[in-house]
Amino acid sequence: MSRVNLLAAALIGPLLLLVVASFVVPLLVTLYTAVGDPEIRESLPGTAAAVRAWDGEGLPPEEAYAAIAAELAAAQEGQAIGALSRRLNFEQPGLRALVLKTARGKESLAAPYKDALIALDARWGSPELWQLIRRGAGGLTPLYLLRSLDLTLTPAGDVARAPKDEAIFVSLFYRTFEISIWVTVLCVLLGYPVAWTLSTLPQRWANLAMALVLIPFWTSILVRTTAWFILLQREGPVNAFLQATRIADAPLTMIFTRFAVYVAMVHVLLPFVILPLYSVMKGIDPVYMRAAASLGAPEWKRFLRVYLPLTMPGVAAGAVMVFMLSVGFYVTPALVGGANDQMVSYFIAFFTNDTINWGMAAALAALLLMMTGILVVAARVILPGFRPGGLKL
Amino acid sequence: MQMDRMKGLAMSALVGIAVLGAGATAARELMIVGFGGPFQDNARKHLFKGFETATGKKVNDDVYNGEMAKIYAMVKAKDVTWDVIMVEAPELARGCEDGIFEKMDWSVVKKSKFIANGTSTCGAGAVLWGVTLFYDSTKIKDGPDTYAKLWDLKAYPGKRSFRSTPKTTLEIALLADGVAPADVYKVLSTPEGVKRAFAKLDQIKPQIVWWKSGTQPVQLVGSGEVAYAVGFTGRIVRANADAGGNKYPLLWKTLLWSVDSWAVVKGSPNAAEGMKMIEWITDAKPLTAMAADYAVSPANAEAAANPMLREKNPGMLSPHAAQGLFIDTDFWVANGADLETKFNAWVAQ
Repeated sequence: MSRVNLLAAALIGPLLLLVVASFVVPLLVTLYTAVGDPEIRESLPGTAAAVRAWDGEGLPPEEAYAAIAAELAAAQEGQAIGALSRRLNFEQPGLRALVLKTARGKESLAAPYKDALIALDARWGSPELWQLIRRGAGGLTPLYLLRSLDLTLTPAGDVARAPKDEAIFVSLFYRTFEISIWVTVLCVLLGYPVAWTLSTLPQRWANLAMALVLIPFWTSILVRTTAWFILLQREGPVNAFLQATRIADAPLTMIFTRFAVYVAMVHVLLPFVILPLYSVMKGIDPVYMRAAASLGAPEWKRFLRVYLPLTMPGVAAGAVMVFMLSVGFYVTPALVGGANDQMVSYFIAFFTNDTINWGMAAALAALLLMMTGILVVAARVILPGFRPGGLKL
Repeated sequence: MQMDRMKGLAMSALVGIAVLGAGATAARELMIVGFGGPFQDNARKHLFKGFETATGKKVNDDVYNGEMAKIYAMVKAKDVTWDVIMVEAPELARGCEDGIFEKMDWSVVKKSKFIANGTSTCGAGAVLWGVTLFYDSTKIKDGPDTYAKLWDLKAYPGKRSFRSTPKTTLEIALLADGVAPADVYKVLSTPEGVKRAFAKLDQIKPQIVWWKSGTQPVQLVGSGEVAYAVGFTGRIVRANADAGGNKYPLLWKTLLWSVDSWAVVKGSPNAAEGMKMIEWITDAKPLTAMAADYAVSPANAEAAANPMLREKNPGMLSPHAAQGLFIDTDFWVANGADLETKFNAWVAQ
């Protein structure tokens, strides 16, 4: 390697390490959390070993029963039983009560543990429960990913549809992408004229107009979203205006609706389209438009055949950025949207904070990442102008 | 040129030192975390600063919204930055099970001074809190005073607002459906009971606005966005004090209440100091001083029974607790996760 190359590598090296450490590593950890199944292995190591040695037919041997009786009681003492019981209950409701009952009843149990446990609760004699434990002892589980797609594991271990009153995630993903695509389209349609105006204004006015775009951009997103709550509420200025001009007879319900979500999200994300478009438009040599005019093209043809294709890289950049951001939006739909307008990130936050089910949060995040990635790649392949060559009409 | 370069170097050196200095922490000060709002402002004045003055140990306080994930992550990473924290009862029970709270040191904190139901393995009772139904009495002359009446959309038109969680909302649905308070949790423990609660909520679902943060119900009722809301009594009393008079009447028949406790995060470097602080801030004297200033219902038996406080403090829960429904901690620890999933699915439809 030449000296220049080595120097370049040395300069980039620390930054690369930083990116790997703060971006790639957490991403890999999240992906692992989505499929990881550590609770049984960590809280019940002896039981896990015993069931893995068992062949899976009928009921496991006495060692497994002895191990689980001892380890459940130990887990309760060691304050590890909560995570274990929540994990088991997540796969099959009712198991939390069983686990806690067994842990508390340790004193009354004596060898042979198989008979003692089955006498304590008949479920210990069901092969399906032990197969569930055996699956959990493996260390990896598809359960979180399946649940995120409205599927679930039956007690026998087969994949089945989740019950209707728990199946919300597929429609949630649809909703998230529907909102994001609409927001992207609206941002591009609204941002294009603004960027064009900015790029053609004389310098002094352009600076002022740019400030009008940048200053809201730099304002906290929470402040801007809350401002929309105040504007759109029943007794807010928008309703007051509509009633004063007799456009509406009664106050319209605008807040906590899908409409409010679109308005607030477009407002917040517009600068992400305006700024890249502006920089691309600024770079377009006006000589092209004059050349097209001199060759006899009317106004609309000049725009469609010359200007629009030249600005496509800017549109693509802005659209992709807006789409990526809106897919992950949490604050805005939570504050101005109704219960039917929440996006996937709301549930990721819910599983992270409220139920401490990091497996589900990671699974939803991993699926969201994958779906977004597929959509963007598909856009690059299908939509014209997103290819490196630009639009060819 | 030379001078500019020197200046530049000196500036960057100063900035570097400042950054390093800010990052370096020697012995960390005690950090106590609560749910914020006017309660915390008053707690800071009477309890935290009081402890500081009495013992000379500096106390910092912070606010959180009940997100347990942060505490789980802290304990797991063994980098605990919060020492004492206020938690709701089910989170306390679950956290204790999961080993993220230290077991209460009853040799430091005197167990006998608390009310019944006021202590648990990992927590010492701080205050009672509750939610009641309320509405703006200047806009609505004759509002509903029970949950059964709240369901009458013809007699009481307008939107309703409930907390965006099954805890309290499902109980309210069953109470509205005519279940006796003593039987609410028995009914809710059965699948048919859960279906019954959701079916009852379906009756008024299009009129429901969900709130997440404690400030929202008062904001929503105040701005006219909703007509009736279920909100924290402390916030209602505060709103009454700000507005003057009895703008939002307290309907004690609709009370649902529970106990918030102080807990020490496991692995905190200031755990011993934290226990001493909990012992100080749960004493009758500072709590009485605080309750005289701000409507709280202390979990300290002596302060709760104080007749002067009961008179001064119309929002105190202890005299009305018998009328209301105690939110069953064990039920929610056992069934919380399941019912939260069902609730989210129901709300999203």
